[in-house]
Amino acid sequence: MKRRNFIKASAIASTSAIVPQFLKGVKATNIERSRQGKNLVVIQFSGGNDGLNTIIPYQNDLYYKNRPSLGIKANEVLKVSENLGFNPAMESLRSLYDEGLMSIINSVGYPNPDRSHFRSMDIWHTASDSNEYLSTGWLGRYLDSNCSGCQSPHHALEVDDTLSLSLKGIAKSGFAMSNPNQLKRISDNKFLKSITHHHEHEHEENVEYLYKTLVDTQASANYLYQKSKVHKTKVKYPKGAFGNDLKQIAELMTADADIKIYYANLGGFDTHVGQKNKQARLLKTYSDAMSVFVKDLKNNGLLDDTLIMTFSEFGRRVQQNASGGTDHGTANNVFLMGGNLKKKGFYNSAPDLKKLDKGDLIYQMDFRKIYATILEDWLDASPTQILGKRFEKIII
Amino acid sequence: MNTQQRLQHLYWRAGFGMSPKGWSSKKKHSTQKAIDELFKNAHQASKRKVVKNGNGIESSEMGMSSKADKKEKRKQNKIRVGAHNTDWIMRMGNPDESALLEKMTLFWHGHFACTTKIPEWARKQLNTIRQHALGNFRELVLAIAKDGSMIRFLNNQQNKKRKPNENFAREVMELFTIGRGNYSEKDVKEAARAFTGWSSNLKGDFVFKKRQHDFGQKIFFEKKGKWDGDDIIDMILEKRETSEFIARKVYRFFVNEKIDEQNVKYLAQIFYDSKYDIEKMMRAIFESKWFFEEKNVGVKIKSPVELLAGMIRTFEVDFKNTAALIFIEKALGQVLFDPPNVAGWAGGKSWIDNSTLMLRLNLANVLFQNSDLNIKIKEELEAQKRNKRKRNVQASVNFTPFYNLFKRENEKLLLDKMGGFVLQTKGKLNESTFEDFVIKNNKEDLVKTMCLRMMSLPEYQLM
Repeated sequence: MKRRNFIKASAIASTSAIVPQFLKGVKATNIERSRQGKNLVVIQFSGGNDGLNTIIPYQNDLYYKNRPSLGIKANEVLKVSENLGFNPAMESLRSLYDEGLMSIINSVGYPNPDRSHFRSMDIWHTASDSNEYLSTGWLGRYLDSNCSGCQSPHHALEVDDTLSLSLKGIAKSGFAMSNPNQLKRISDNKFLKSITHHHEHEHEENVEYLYKTLVDTQASANYLYQKSKVHKTKVKYPKGAFGNDLKQIAELMTADADIKIYYANLGGFDTHVGQKNKQARLLKTYSDAMSVFVKDLKNNGLLDDTLIMTFSEFGRRVQQNASGGTDHGTANNVFLMGGNLKKKGFYNSAPDLKKLDKGDLIYQMDFRKIYATILEDWLDASPTQILGKRFEKIII
Repeated sequence: MNTQQRLQHLYWRAGFGMSPKGWSSKKKHSTQKAIDELFKNAHQASKRKVVKNGNGIESSEMGMSSKADKKEKRKQNKIRVGAHNTDWIMRMGNPDESALLEKMTLFWHGHFACTTKIPEWARKQLNTIRQHALGNFRELVLAIAKDGSMIRFLNNQQNKKRKPNENFAREVMELFTIGRGNYSEKDVKEAARAFTGWSSNLKGDFVFKKRQHDFGQKIFFEKKGKWDGDDIIDMILEKRETSEFIARKVYRFFVNEKIDEQNVKYLAQIFYDSKYDIEKMMRAIFESKWFFEEKNVGVKIKSPVELLAGMIRTFEVDFKNTAALIFIEKALGQVLFDPPNVAGWAGGKSWIDNSTLMLRLNLANVLFQNSDLNIKIKEELEAQKRNKRKRNVQASVNFTPFYNLFKRENEKLLLDKMGGFVLQTKGKLNESTFEDFVIKNNKEDLVKTMCLRMMSLPEYQLM
């Protein structure tokens, strides 16, 4: 087995004086580049958002019959089409809809739906069939696919401390960071710096992989920290974690950071009990933050190059339960936002409440068609290779 | 490779590394003696050990309780499954327990991956696996096919003559025994019929529901007969592909992620010829020459559980607040009794991303210095609120046995000697990496800080 040859140098003496070849190489690929082409932002609603009380079929008697107390009264609904309207908590999204910056796809799901949170989220993350188990995410496989720019470790950034399965590949994964200052503090650890400085590239594969990940993390932490200082937004985002996450994304994007994909989460949608207020609060958080975010991107000329997709692992049962809530369901709506949408407003017809499968909506569109379109049209990748089979594209 | 290196390799792969005490008593053993002792301890352990309850009486099914009761029960169940989880990790990390048996059990726990929410059932399944972990694979598969948690997890209680559910039958073949490509969709359908009526009662015990069972003729692997579940398993085991599938997975877990087909074939042959005797196959690994070849040493990325159990074993770590232990498991991506799905943990490089690596490199500091884990883990999908960001890890460490190993060591040799014990990788450590980061006031501080630094090296993530 090979022996390490260390550069004889004091550990702290050298931030710039002696930079090993290996570290230099990684830095060079990152820092020079900046944003190119289109951006994707994925927003995940965790817990299963009730799509029927988000986009409300206010002309449908079956809706009110199934939801005698939970149904949102027609006169409260924010009507945006002749039969569908927004939850009243989504007031701030209305202007986006009116300006044609939003597209709503109804009844998105997959065959043989699974009603377990974990499994269904797994399926959305990995883009597998419901009886297939994959350990990589659809965006992780995109990163693995030799895509242009993918060599950068922060090509796909999740605004969180830990990384979602969606962003995990085999050779490459996305990058998790909730706060650039904190990440910088952690990676500025002097000892970790010392070991990467003293490390030379002649190791067993896994040792090398760990060092590579460490060096990448240090380099990315620096890069993201610097980029986060370039542009401070002038608009005011709503207080709270979700607003902060979107602000973070907007600032990095405006600073032309070399990040193609952003990923953010909003949780708490598992409304079995007392749904009305809980969901209203969440939808308001979402809508208020999104409307500021979209305007911010627009003001900075970024919206035409950006696509924002919002999804949840499943929708909820058509019929309300006895606790003023709803139980786990199947198909759900997916929101797309951006300045360049080809099909604005409602993408397809309202969900069919007559033809149900055990009380649940039957999906009209496989979510992987949306993925396939995003992969090919927004990320210049090969959807068939990444998704494992061919899915028809839709119009985005 | 010297004897120390051989023993350490053996103990990391067949267990969770060596404790300082174990090292003092075993360092003169031959490899063969150490192997024999590992198996001997495993036999003794499997006879006497039963996992104790989490705390107090265990609840099982929800029954006819009110909503609030159910919620409270779910909460209690979660805590108790968590107690089984931490109890098990502490056992893996306990130098007085059989390392090999726990390691084998961990392997099968990942192989027969199953999420269990009822504490009593979790314990039952774990004991079932532990009982057969080094026994006969046929017995093990059968016991799992009759395990309440697995039956629920793969919906076999819904597998009835009039409406078969194929989930269990499919996974038995795809993931548990023979692997993809060795059976047809027709075989899945017919096997599902053979497992109809294999159900469980409210205690999680196996129940054969005669009226739901399909006693009719089935065609499986092109053979006609009135097959039941046992027959199906026998017919699957008759195929050599099954022994190869399992041997390959065992090789990946115990030897190297990079498969050497010749070695796998050798193991599969032994496994098959011994009628699926797990112990025979495991012995064949540890007694082989190639097991100790340099290309197989220090090249496996420890799973989060292996990493934690290893630290616990070496430093007698005790968690005052076991919730912190589960918190770390979650942040690192491996929670016992809660695999990502029926395919289990993918392992290898997939454990590593920027977030998990930074936490891994910082873990020794956290445990030794009682510092906060300043990280927010993803909320549970059912959770209503965001998780709080900080988690204080109150752990105590007994550093004395480790210090005793090195207190008489010449300071100049300390780095090499200690590196040889703490790290499995073979690169030579250079003093300049460490010199500004160790405290030299006295020997104990030096040993301690040097050890902490070693555990913060990427190399410590490997075994």
